[in-house]
Amino acid sequence: MTAAPLHDLPPHHTDAARDADRALREHAEQARHWHLADLFAEDPRRFETLSLHAGGLLVDISKQRLTADTLEKLRALAAARGLDTWIRCLFEGGEVNWTEGRAAMHWRLRQPPRPQGEPDPVQEQLARMERIVKRILSGQWRGCEGDAITDVVNVGVGGSDLGPLMASVALHENHPREGRRPRVHFVSSMDGSQIAPLLDELNPATTLIVVSSKSFTTVDTLSNAATARCWLEQAFPKMNGAVLRCHFVGVSAKPERMSEWGIHEDNQLLFWDWVGGRYSLWSAIGLPIALTIGMDGFRELLAGANEMDRHFQEAPWEKNLPVLLGLVDVWNLNFLDITARAVLPYDGRLKHWPAYVEQLEMESNGKSVDRDGEVVDYHTCPVIWGEVGPNAQHAFYQLLHQGTQPVACEFLAAARHGRRNGNSAELQPLEEQHILTLANCLAQSRLLALGDRALAEDDGTPTHKRYRGNQPSTTLLLDELTPRHLGALVALYEHKVFVQAVLWGINPFDQWGVEMGKKIAKDMIQVLESGAGADGLDASTRALAAYVRERQPDDR
Amino acid sequence: MRIDMFGDTLCAMVTATAMAQSGHRVRWWLPPGRVARALDDDRVLYQEPGLSELVSAQRRAGRLDCRTDEPGLADVNGEPAVSEPAPVVCLALQPGDLERAGHLADWAGRGGARLLVNQSVFPVGTTEQLQARLRDAGADTPVVCLPDTLQEGQALDSFTRPHHILLGCDEREAEVLMRELLRPYNRRRDVLKVMLPREAEFTKLAISGMLATRLSYMNDMALLAEELAVDIDVIRQGVGSDPRIGEAYLYAGCGFGGPGFSRDVMSLTDTLRSRRIGAELLEQVLQINERQKEVLFRKFWRHFEGDVEERRVTLWGAAFKPGSDRVDNGPALRLIEALWAQGVDVHVHDPLALPELSNWARGKGTLTLHDDPYEAARDSDALMLVTEWKAYWGPDWDDLKAAMRTPLILDGRNIYDPAYVKRQGFTYHGIGRG
Repeated sequence: MTAAPLHDLPPHHTDAARDADRALREHAEQARHWHLADLFAEDPRRFETLSLHAGGLLVDISKQRLTADTLEKLRALAAARGLDTWIRCLFEGGEVNWTEGRAAMHWRLRQPPRPQGEPDPVQEQLARMERIVKRILSGQWRGCEGDAITDVVNVGVGGSDLGPLMASVALHENHPREGRRPRVHFVSSMDGSQIAPLLDELNPATTLIVVSSKSFTTVDTLSNAATARCWLEQAFPKMNGAVLRCHFVGVSAKPERMSEWGIHEDNQLLFWDWVGGRYSLWSAIGLPIALTIGMDGFRELLAGANEMDRHFQEAPWEKNLPVLLGLVDVWNLNFLDITARAVLPYDGRLKHWPAYVEQLEMESNGKSVDRDGEVVDYHTCPVIWGEVGPNAQHAFYQLLHQGTQPVACEFLAAARHGRRNGNSAELQPLEEQHILTLANCLAQSRLLALGDRALAEDDGTPTHKRYRGNQPSTTLLLDELTPRHLGALVALYEHKVFVQAVLWGINPFDQWGVEMGKKIAKDMIQVLESGAGADGLDASTRALAAYVRERQPDDR
Repeated sequence: MRIDMFGDTLCAMVTATAMAQSGHRVRWWLPPGRVARALDDDRVLYQEPGLSELVSAQRRAGRLDCRTDEPGLADVNGEPAVSEPAPVVCLALQPGDLERAGHLADWAGRGGARLLVNQSVFPVGTTEQLQARLRDAGADTPVVCLPDTLQEGQALDSFTRPHHILLGCDEREAEVLMRELLRPYNRRRDVLKVMLPREAEFTKLAISGMLATRLSYMNDMALLAEELAVDIDVIRQGVGSDPRIGEAYLYAGCGFGGPGFSRDVMSLTDTLRSRRIGAELLEQVLQINERQKEVLFRKFWRHFEGDVEERRVTLWGAAFKPGSDRVDNGPALRLIEALWAQGVDVHVHDPLALPELSNWARGKGTLTLHDDPYEAARDSDALMLVTEWKAYWGPDWDDLKAAMRTPLILDGRNIYDPAYVKRQGFTYHGIGRG
C-alpha cells in the first residue's frame, strides 16, 4: 500500500545547515551562563511565550534554558535540515526507513476509514479485531470446554509488550461500554519467571493466550508461548485441535509463520512491515488495550493520535508541539551538553510510561551513522530513564537536586483526575491525593529550576543544604487522562522522535543494534550445554560459561 | 369490604382476583403496560391454572373493577387521580417502584385508609419506612407486610390454599383486619405466622435463598457425579429420603430462572452487601446457577470440539418452568445468546412461551419458532431439553431420530432414561449423569 513518493529525502549536510549550526553554537556560548531564575526575573511573559496547547495537552517549556530567540535559531536549523520535506516524505509513505528500504506508516493506522468501496486493509483488520474483542467482552469467546474466557495473557516483548502494557494500565479506569472485560496479563521475560507463577493462578479452561510478535520468530515470545501451549495441552489432552482454536490468538505481520506455529486462521490478526514494532500499539498489537477499554475507547485513542498527526503536518512550527519538543531536546543535548533526561509522570496510572518512552526514544535514536554511512561526530539520543515522580522523589531526586550531572527533566501529569466510578463522598480523599501529587510536581520543577531562589531567604544556609537549581525541565499537562488525550500524547512523542532523527541525520525506524546479540546468544546455548565452541571465546566469557556449567544439576 | 389494589405483578392479579372471589369489591389500578393492554382485550397475560377464568368471572360479577383507562395514575405529582382511597389499600408493585409506593402511601394516609398492605418485593425494612413516613405526615393508617410467596405455575392455588402465610404486622388492630381478609384461606388450621414487618420481608428472601442454595448445591454435586460416573438422580432420591432434608428442590438441572426467584436471591445478596456483610454463599449460589444455565451449551460445544459454526440446534422449551409463559432470566435465553454468538442456527418449540421469547429476541438475533416439536428438530445437530413440559416426557423416538441430522439429546432436566434413550440410537447427556 506504499504510494509512490513525491519527494526525495533531503540531504543532511548543506551550507545552510552549517551556518545555522554555527549560529546556534555562538548563541549557546552565552546561554551556558544563563540561570533560569534570572530568565524568569527578566521576562514576566516567559510562560506566555514559551508554552503551547494542542490536542488536550499543555506543554510548558519556559523552565528550559532557552529564549524565543533560541527557538528561532533552532527552527532555522530544522529548516536547513529539510524538516518540512522530511515530514511530507513521512506522510507520503516515502522510504524514510532507508536501511530497510521501506516506509514508516504507523500514522496510517489511525486514519479515519477511507470512502466506501476503496480497499482498506487497516479498517479490515480493525473490524476483525473488533469481532474478537466483542466476543470476549460478551463472554462468548469459549475455551475448549465451552467456558467463557475470564483471563487473557498477552505474550510479547518490546513493542508487542511495552505499548499495550503502558496504555492498558494508564486507561484501566475506562471500562468498555458493554460486556465484562477479562483480566489482562502481560508476559514478556524469556526466563519464564513471569509466566510460571501466572499459569499457577489461572484456570486453563477460561484463559486465552495472545501471541504477539511482528516477525513471529522472537525467541522470548515463542518460548513463553510454547510454555503456555504445553500447559493447555496437558490440561486438555483429548482435544488438542480445539485447544489451539479456542485458546490462542496470534498478532503478527507474518501470517504463514503464525499458521506454521498452529494459530488458527480465524484467530490471526495482521499488521504490516511498514509498522515498526515500537510504533505498533495502534494496530492489532493493541488488542489488550481494546480488551481493557472497549473498542470505542480504542477508536478514541486512534482519533487522538490522528489529531496529533494532522497537527504535526499542519501547524506552523512556532505552534507545532512535536517540532518544539524535538528542538528543545536537540538544544539540551547538542548545545548545552546535557546528556541525560529523566521522565517523571506524576500519576501512578502512567507508571509504565518511562519504560515505554525509553524504548521509543533510545531504540529509535540510539544510532550514530548518517544516511551517507558516515559516523556522526555529535551526540544523538540522550540516556533516558524514569519512574513515577513522587516515588522517584524518594529515590534519585537527590542526584537531580544536588548531584554533579546536568539532567533535563520531563514532568507529566493530568490536570483533572477524571475518575468515572464511585460516589463523590468516597472519592473526596482520592481527589485530595491528586491535588497533593500535583502540588509535588509543581514544587519539584520549581525547585529544580530556581534552586535556593525558589525560597524566601537563603542567608546563612550551609552549603550541603543548598540547591543550585538551573536543571531545565518541560511540563506536560493532560487536561485529563482519557483514551483520546493519551493517543495524542503518544503520537506527539513518536513525531518528536522523528524530528530529532531528522536533525541528527539518522534513521529512527531500524534497530540493527539489537540483532547481533540475538545471533551470538544462539551459539552461546551450545557453549553452556556441551562446552563446545568455548575455546574461541574471550577469557572472561569462557570462564563465566564454565562456572555456570559446573553448577548445573547432574541429570542435564 | 372495598379494596384498592395497585400494581401489575402476578401477585397483584392473584390477590385482587381471589379477594374479589371472596366477596370483596376490588378496584384494581393498573399502570400502563402489557398486563393492562391485555386486560383491555379481555385477556390475561399471566398463564396460571384457573386464573384467566377467575379474572373473567369476577369482572363479569362486577366485583373486580380493572381500571386500565387511567393513564399514569400517579403521574400528576404522584397524586392518584381518584380522590378517596378504599378502606384497604394493597401495593403489589414492581421491585423498582419504591418512589411510587411512597406517593401511594401518602395518598392512602391522607384519605384515611384503615390499612395499607405492602406486598411488593422491596428491600428489607421498606414497610416500616412507609409506616414512619405516614406517621410523620400525621396519618394513623397502619402499614403491614404480606410478602409475595406465590409459587409460579400454581399461583392461585398457593394463595387460596397456602401451607403458610407470612404476615409482618406490629399492631393489634391491623392484625385483626388482616385476619378478617385472609379468613377464607386460613380455615383448616391457623397457618398465619405473624412477625415484625421487617422479619416477614426478611423471611421471604431467606426462603428463596435457601431454595436456591439447595438447587445450586445439587448442581455442584451433579458436576462431581459426572466425574465419578454416577447418576445424580439416584443420589437425589437417596438424599431426599432423609427426613432432615426432604425431597423438595433437589433436582439438578440447567439452572433456575423466572422473574421472582433469582430476583429474590439477588435482592437478599444486595441487602447483605449493603450492610457490609459478605454474601459469599449466595454469591456462589448465583454464580453456580449462571454457570448452570450454560451447561447444555458446554456439552454441545464439547461434543463437537468447538467446531459448531453453522450447525443447527433445537430447544424444546423456553419457559423458565412448565406452566408459565415467562422466559425472564431463564436458561433458554443464555443458551440462545451463546448459540447465536457461535453462528449456530437456533430452532425453538414451546407450547406457551414463544410470544414472550419472540419479544425478547427482537433486535437481538434470528430464531425459528415452531408449533410442532418434531418440525423444530428437523435436520438438527442437537436437541436441548430446557423446560420439562409434560408433552416432552414421552417423545416418539423413531420420528425424532428420523428428523435429526445428529442424534444428540442434551437433557437439561433429567427427564429421560439414559439407557433407554441410548438404546434408541441417540447420544445422551443429562445433568450429572456420568
